[in-house]
Amino acid sequence: MFSLSGISKRFGAVTALAEVSLTITTGRVHGLLGENGAGKSTLMNILFGLLQPDAGSITSGGTALRLRSPAEALRHGLGMVHQHFALVPTLSVVDNVVLALQSSLGRVDRAAWSARLRQRADALRWDIDPAALVGSLATGQQQRVEILKALLAIDQAGSAQRTLILDEPTAVLTPPEVDELLPSVRALAADGVAVVYISHKLAEIARVCDEVSVLRRGRMVHHGPASETQERLAELMVGSPVSHPARPACPAPLTAAVRIAARDIAIRIDGRTVLQDVTLEVRAGEIVGIAGVEGNGQVPLVQALLGLLPPTSGTLTAPSPIAVIPDDRQREALVMPLSVAQNLALRRYRGSPFSHHGWLSPAAWSTHARALMSASDVRAPSPGAAMATLSGGNQQKAVVARELDGDPPVIIAVNPTRGLDVGAASAVLERLVAARDRGAAVLLIHSDLDELLAVSDRVLVLHRGSLADSGWPTCDRAAIGRLMLGGLPLGPRAADPPDVDGLQSPSIPGATS
Amino acid sequence: MSRWLAASSGILIAVGAISAVILVVLIGLALLGHAPTTVLTTWFHGAAGSWTRLALSVQEAGPLLLTGLAAAVAFRCGVWNIGAEGQFLIGAVTMVAFGTVLLIPGPGWLILSIVLILSAFSGAAWALLATGLERWRGVPVVLSTILLNFIAVAVVGMLVQGPLHDPTTTAPQTALMAEQMRLPVLVEGTRLHLGVLLAAIIAVALWLVLKRTTIGFEVQVVGLNPDAARLMGMPVGARQVLVMAVSGGLAGFAGAAHVAGVTGMLSGSPVSYGYAGIAVAMLGRLHPLGILVAALFLGMLSTGASGLERRLGIPHDLGDVVQGLLVLAVLVGGGITARRALRPQAEST
Repeated sequence: MFSLSGISKRFGAVTALAEVSLTITTGRVHGLLGENGAGKSTLMNILFGLLQPDAGSITSGGTALRLRSPAEALRHGLGMVHQHFALVPTLSVVDNVVLALQSSLGRVDRAAWSARLRQRADALRWDIDPAALVGSLATGQQQRVEILKALLAIDQAGSAQRTLILDEPTAVLTPPEVDELLPSVRALAADGVAVVYISHKLAEIARVCDEVSVLRRGRMVHHGPASETQERLAELMVGSPVSHPARPACPAPLTAAVRIAARDIAIRIDGRTVLQDVTLEVRAGEIVGIAGVEGNGQVPLVQALLGLLPPTSGTLTAPSPIAVIPDDRQREALVMPLSVAQNLALRRYRGSPFSHHGWLSPAAWSTHARALMSASDVRAPSPGAAMATLSGGNQQKAVVARELDGDPPVIIAVNPTRGLDVGAASAVLERLVAARDRGAAVLLIHSDLDELLAVSDRVLVLHRGSLADSGWPTCDRAAIGRLMLGGLPLGPRAADPPDVDGLQSPSIPGATS
Repeated sequence: MSRWLAASSGILIAVGAISAVILVVLIGLALLGHAPTTVLTTWFHGAAGSWTRLALSVQEAGPLLLTGLAAAVAFRCGVWNIGAEGQFLIGAVTMVAFGTVLLIPGPGWLILSIVLILSAFSGAAWALLATGLERWRGVPVVLSTILLNFIAVAVVGMLVQGPLHDPTTTAPQTALMAEQMRLPVLVEGTRLHLGVLLAAIIAVALWLVLKRTTIGFEVQVVGLNPDAARLMGMPVGARQVLVMAVSGGLAGFAGAAHVAGVTGMLSGSPVSYGYAGIAVAMLGRLHPLGILVAALFLGMLSTGASGLERRLGIPHDLGDVVQGLLVLAVLVGGGITARRALRPQAEST
C-alpha cells in the first residue's frame, strides 16, 4: 500500500500541486480524474521518481520512501504504462521484453523470458504469443505487451508489492478494444496489483475503478467510491458553478456581420472522419469559445478555417488572411533564429514601409518592432535580438502583438495562454477581449475551461469531431464538462423553449435522463 | 550584437576547422617523413607561387564557387538538392552540343550568351525533375537528386559516345568546340576565363538578393520554419520551386562555363565539381561571401596538392582527403555550437 500525503510542487511562480494526498491499495483500481494541466502528470512523475516534491511524504507500508529515480521507484514495485507505447514493431514480443529488461550484454535466453512472459499472461488469462511480431498485433494486444513488460520489470526489481500506473490507457484504443481492456485491468487487480487508472473518461472510471480521486488545479478536491454519479464527478473536475459570475448574454447583436460561417462541414482524412456536421457562425464583436478535450478535432477545424485543409463536404466562408495565434508558437508562429524585428514583420514585409518594389527597408523594421514591443510590453534586449533568446511569455506576447497589429477583423486563437504565467496569460486574454470590443470576430479554442468561460460570449463544445452548443452562459459549467467528456449526451434541446429561469437557477439539460 | 556574434562564430568555426584539419594532415605527413615546413611551402608555391599558379587556383575556384552557391541557395530554403553533379553535367553537355554539332550562325558573343543561358536552363530543368517527383509522387528530393546524378552521367556518356562523339578518335570524347563558342581568357597565357569573373559577380548578386529582397527573406523563413511560413501566407511551394530552379541553373551554368572556358570538350572522365560544391557550401556556412572565400581556398588546395605530387611525390588525392575532412570538421564544429546555443533555451522551458 502506497500513501502520498501533503505533496506540494511548485515550478517557478506556478503551483502544480498543493498538499495532495493519495492512498493506493493492493488489489484495487484507483481512478485519477482531472483536466489537462490539473497536475496528474506531475503527481505521477513524483511517484515515479522523476520529480522531487517540495513538501510532503511518500510511505509504503508505514516506512517513508525517498524516490529519486524511476529505478528506485521500480525497486519499490512501481511501474508505469505510458499512453504512447515504447515498442519496436519489427521485433517479436519476447525480443521487445528482452530489449527493455535485459541490461547486461551476453546471451539472450529467449526461452526463459518467454516462460516468464507466459506465466504472467496466464495469471491474467491473456493469450499472448511471445514469438509474434509486435507490428502484427492489434493496438489492444500491444498495450497488453506494455503492461506485461512493466510487470516483468517489477518482478525483476525484486519487489513483492506491485503498483501499476496506467496513463490514459484507452486514449489510443478503439471502442471494442476498450471493452477488452477494462476486464484486463480488473484481472490485474484480482492478481494482487494496485492499479492507478488515469483518465478523463467518466464512463470508464465508473466501469473499472473501485475508488476515484479528482484533481483540479493542483488540488485534490475529492476522494470517494467510483459509484459517485457522473454529473457530480464532472462538476468536481471542471469546478463549481458558483465560482463564476454570470456573464451578460451575447453582446453581439444578431444583426452584426457574420465573419466566419461554416455549414455542415465534414472532413475525412484517409477514410477517417475527423470532423462531422460542424456548423459554426462567428459574428463581429463576439468571442465564440470552443471547449473540448484535446484531440477531438481542434486541429482539423483550425486548419479548415485557415484554408489549409479543404473540407470534404459542406460550405465554409472565412476571410483571408485571418489573424491567428496558433497552438504551438515556436513551431507555427515564430522563426526562432530570426530577430524579433523580422518576426514582428512576418505579416507585413511585402508592403510599404517594410519593403519597396521587393527591396527591404531594414530601418522601418526596427521602428515598427520598437513600437509593437513597447505597446505590447514585449521584453527583449533589442529588436535585433534572436527570438530564441526571449522567454516563452514574451514570445507569445510578440505573436499576439504581430497578429493583432492593424486591427484584423477575424482572429483565431488556439490555447493562447499555454505555458504562460498568470500575468502574461491575463495580458493575452485582455488583448482578445479588447479586440472583441472594437468589433473583431474572435474564435477561441482553448483547453483551459476557466479561462474560456471567463472571456467567451458563447461556448460550443467539440467532442469526437462534432460541435454541440452548450447554451452558455445560460447553462452551468458541469453541463459543459459532461459534453466535453461525452459522458452523457444532451437531451433534445432544439425543441425546448428559451429557458427564462436559466440565469437564476442553472438547469442541467439532460441530467434527469 | 548577437547578430555579430552569430556571424563571427560562423567564421570561427570555419577557421577552427581548417586549422584543425591542416594540423592533422601535417602530423600525418610528418610521420611519413615529410617536414611540415616543406609541405606548407611546397603547397603554397603550387597554389600561389606565381601569377600563373594563382590564376590556375582562381580558375579552379570558379566552378566550385558556382556549385557551392547552387547547394547553398537550396539548403538555405530547406531544399536538399544533392544533384549539382548531374545538373553540372547536363549544363556542360548542352554547351558542348551547341559548340560542336548544333552550331548556330550569328554574332559570336550573342550566340554564346544565349547558349550559356540555355545551358543554365537545362540544368534547372534537370533539377526540377526532382521537384516534380516530390510534388506529384512524394519522392524526397534528397534521394531523387542523387539518383538523377547517376542518370545524368549515363545520359552524358551516351551522348558523348553517340551523337556528340568526335569522329576522328576512338576515345570517348566530343570534338573540340568552335572558337566563337569559347569564353574569352582574362589573363594572357592562362585559362582564367570570363566565366570565373561572372561567377564572382553572381555570388555578390545572390548575397544582395538573399539579404535585401522580400524573396530572399521568404527563402530564409521557408528554410527555417516552413510551417510558420505557410501560416503567414508565404508562397512556400513557389519559393521551393524557385530555389530549385536557381540551384540547378547555377550548377548548369557552372558546367557550361567550365567546358566553354577550360576544356573545350567533354570526355567520359568524371569531374565531381558538383559534389565538391556541397563541401564548399558547408565550409562557407551557406553564406555567398563565405562561399566565395571557401571556393578560393579549396581551389588553392587543389592546385597546391598537384604541386605536392609533382615535387614531393605525395598523391594529389590528398586534396580530396583534406576537403572531406574539412566538411566533417565544419559539421562537427557547427553541431557543437548549435548544442551550446540550444542549452539555455532547453532549461527555460
